[in-house]
Amino acid sequence: MTPLLQQFLSEARDFLQSIGEKLLQLEDRPGDAELITELFRLVHTLKGNSGLFDFPELSGVLHAAEDLMDAVRDGRIAFARGLADQLLETMDFVAILIEEIESNGVYATARRQEAQRLTQSLRNAVSREETAEPEPPAADAAETAAPTEPRSRALAGTPEPERMALYRRLAAGERLTWAAYRPEEECFFKGEDPLYQLIQAPDCCWRAVSAREAWPAIAELDAYRCILDFELITTRGEAELLEHFRYTQDQLELAALRPWDLMEPVGERVEGPALADFVQAARERLAAGDREGLECAARTLLELTASDQRVASILRWLLLALELEPASVETHARLIETLAADAGETLASHAAAPETGAAGPPEDPDRVAVQRELWEVQREILALPDAPDWLPGRLRAVTASLAGLVTSLGREELLPGLDAASEQALASADAAPLHHWMETAWPEWGPAPGLTSGGPAPTALTTPPSDDEPKFGRRAEDALPGPRILKVDQGKVDRLMGLIGEMVVAKNALPYLAARAETQFGAREMSREIKAQYAVINRIAEDMQDAIMQVRMTPISFVFQRFPRLVRDLTRKMGKEVKLVMEGEDTEADKHIIECLTDPMIHIVRNSLDHGLETPEERRGAGKPPTGKLTIRAVQESDRVRIEIADDGRGIDPEHIRRKARERGLIDESRLERLSDQEAIDLVFAAGFSTAEQVTDLSGRGVGMDVVRSAIAKVKGTIDLKSQPGVGTRLRLSLPLSMAVTNVMIIRSHGQQFGVPMDDVIETVRVDSAAIRTIKRHRTAVLRSRIVPLVPLNELLGLPDPPRPNGDGAYATLVVRIGKEPIGIMVDDFRETVDIILKPMAGILDGIKGYAGSALMGDGSVLLVLDPKDLLS
Amino acid sequence: MMELRKTTAVITDLLTVEEAETLLEWLQKHPRGKLDLAGCTHLHTANLQVLMAARPQISAWPENETLAAWLRAALCSQE
Repeated sequence: MTPLLQQFLSEARDFLQSIGEKLLQLEDRPGDAELITELFRLVHTLKGNSGLFDFPELSGVLHAAEDLMDAVRDGRIAFARGLADQLLETMDFVAILIEEIESNGVYATARRQEAQRLTQSLRNAVSREETAEPEPPAADAAETAAPTEPRSRALAGTPEPERMALYRRLAAGERLTWAAYRPEEECFFKGEDPLYQLIQAPDCCWRAVSAREAWPAIAELDAYRCILDFELITTRGEAELLEHFRYTQDQLELAALRPWDLMEPVGERVEGPALADFVQAARERLAAGDREGLECAARTLLELTASDQRVASILRWLLLALELEPASVETHARLIETLAADAGETLASHAAAPETGAAGPPEDPDRVAVQRELWEVQREILALPDAPDWLPGRLRAVTASLAGLVTSLGREELLPGLDAASEQALASADAAPLHHWMETAWPEWGPAPGLTSGGPAPTALTTPPSDDEPKFGRRAEDALPGPRILKVDQGKVDRLMGLIGEMVVAKNALPYLAARAETQFGAREMSREIKAQYAVINRIAEDMQDAIMQVRMTPISFVFQRFPRLVRDLTRKMGKEVKLVMEGEDTEADKHIIECLTDPMIHIVRNSLDHGLETPEERRGAGKPPTGKLTIRAVQESDRVRIEIADDGRGIDPEHIRRKARERGLIDESRLERLSDQEAIDLVFAAGFSTAEQVTDLSGRGVGMDVVRSAIAKVKGTIDLKSQPGVGTRLRLSLPLSMAVTNVMIIRSHGQQFGVPMDDVIETVRVDSAAIRTIKRHRTAVLRSRIVPLVPLNELLGLPDPPRPNGDGAYATLVVRIGKEPIGIMVDDFRETVDIILKPMAGILDGIKGYAGSALMGDGSVLLVLDPKDLLS
Repeated sequence: MMELRKTTAVITDLLTVEEAETLLEWLQKHPRGKLDLAGCTHLHTANLQVLMAARPQISAWPENETLAAWLRAALCSQE
């Protein structure tokens, strides 16, 4: 992977992130011009960058998104939720491509079709919205003026009589919906059976099954990779179909069936001058409203045409349309224009003169589109790579077509120029002069993005399509304003941190050295100097440590940023209304901690949305505002980060929890009776507890709150749950800012040294042996007016010696907090506290209970660090 | 249920997703094999896919009309 590509990928992720954010903001403020411009700029830059690499699908999709945003920016399209959905889907798709490029260098070939589908739907959105804009109430306008692309190839391949039957139903006023269902390739592994779904689909009146790719040889077929596409037409509405396919909505494409979708001419394409004449006459009759004449002419031509010709097919459709929908002039005009397009060049040279007259609308949009398309085709032909063998023939053909086109447009004055250009091109055996003529003779028909980009990538064009504005210097403007940030691979930072850790350990050896200089060699002066040097190195090392911590600090927005989208998608799926409030996104903590936080947080938020917050109806019934509120707040409190996730939903009912706990047999009857409400609520953290009445696809994936709690505990965090039925639930997470350096207290017991994390230690006391009472063979002492159980460390570690008191008969006792209760651990002696780099137990030692890890000390010895919670449980 | 005879695979009731592999193997071994679906009430999409790829002759279509309609759409449309 080249560094350039690497940079592109990493930047692309940032862009996608910002685009996602902007889209969500735009949903709240649809009219914000600044946001729209910013969004356009982001998409535009991303597209521009992607063009540096050979990922045509990636660029294609982004290009379509850019066009859509451009239309929004120019006010040609109003920004709506549907558009946001489409753009978000596009960005998700781009993110997938980016991931695949990152891991494999390329993306899967299967992505191509997906890209095409997305591009097409984005383009459709542009054209649909644009044409709908001038007359919003007239739905027909949008239907008929949309590009003549048939929706479905399978539909076009259906026998004509069958399609005509469907058309009859449409014309009779029935509403038919066309649906395409494209199951995922892995759907069989998810237990889906698409065919079953389809068979269950109501009132299906047409169906087709096709393969997405050519069938492999039967010997190589993978029966369990679904490559089937299904299509159907039903009398039910879109909403009902969406409901039917609710689990696979994303794989479903729906549209109201338009007459045009059915009218796909079939048959052999044969040209004849009679056709051009007919088209001319038909246009005039249509414009004059002479339907009978049109019908008569069509019938006559049909009789003269062999029935297996394409023309005959179009005529049959025209006659049927005239019969069934006499008022739908749009449809008739379209069919006639299809004929005109078929007639193509014959038409161009034959029907020049009367066209400029007042017979029909001179600027018939369909006709212009056809002419323009012809123009574009010539341009593409010219742009094809020059091969000397057939170049002259090609140039002559293009000249002839252009001449016809110019005549049909009534611009004969351009012909001499064309002839000159053609001769020049033939003489030099180069397409450039003709190309140049096209550019200058008809500048307003410069490359049309809307037309060319629909087809295969127009990269073959010799002249790049010029935008409205020049592109020079645009890259400079595109640079995002922002702080100067250096992107570094995380591995490098980790290495630096490891080195600094070693440095800290190495520096800790100096005091030992100073002590030896004094005691063993009697060099006091030397010892003092070493100590002075140590102080300097110590200060620098601490600063270094601090600096590297700062580098690793990541704002919590890393986790938070995905919530707006998550909440939006989930609430829409569940039909709930939730307002998400986030505070303190810029609170920072160590990257590792932030990363470990992601999954538990997502789970908690999902839980809140799924179980906590109610539907608007339920909320209204409970006398609450219909929109629920989910607050996620992060604050830093000394050396910890506190995160609060609160909702104002239905809360947790302790009775309900008690009942569930009894059903699951998590707790015995007698203990259940004694549980306070809070203790009952805390039962949700018990392993194997899931309160969801029914397993939904949101939460209830078998990942319970116990997993959340252990994930939080892994980074030395705590979780605390408060809930009030009917009022809401609040979860509080408390996490350390950083875990690279652990402050431990060194203790001695049985002649060995151990470390105990200071986080666990409440206090250290010396308990007089006289103050120790034995209650039922358990030693206890009264500390600060509380009875505290005492446990000798040797006993916990299985060492035979009793704890050793000091000279005054007092026992060194370490008071630690387990859960809410303090417990005293009796040791032989306390030593100093030190900062160490705690290395978790690895390999075979991993399974040993009671130890948090080990650390290397300054004198080269290894310190075992105890985990009191684990030891006492 | 699938009963594999010499020239015909007779399918009754439900053809599950697991049976697609068996069906595929049989069709690989018997390229001219026919299928009797008369008693079939449903077949999993994976089986449909196998049939579409192999295009065996169908000696009897399912009695269930909806299923038959879908199978015909899948197996009779393009060659």
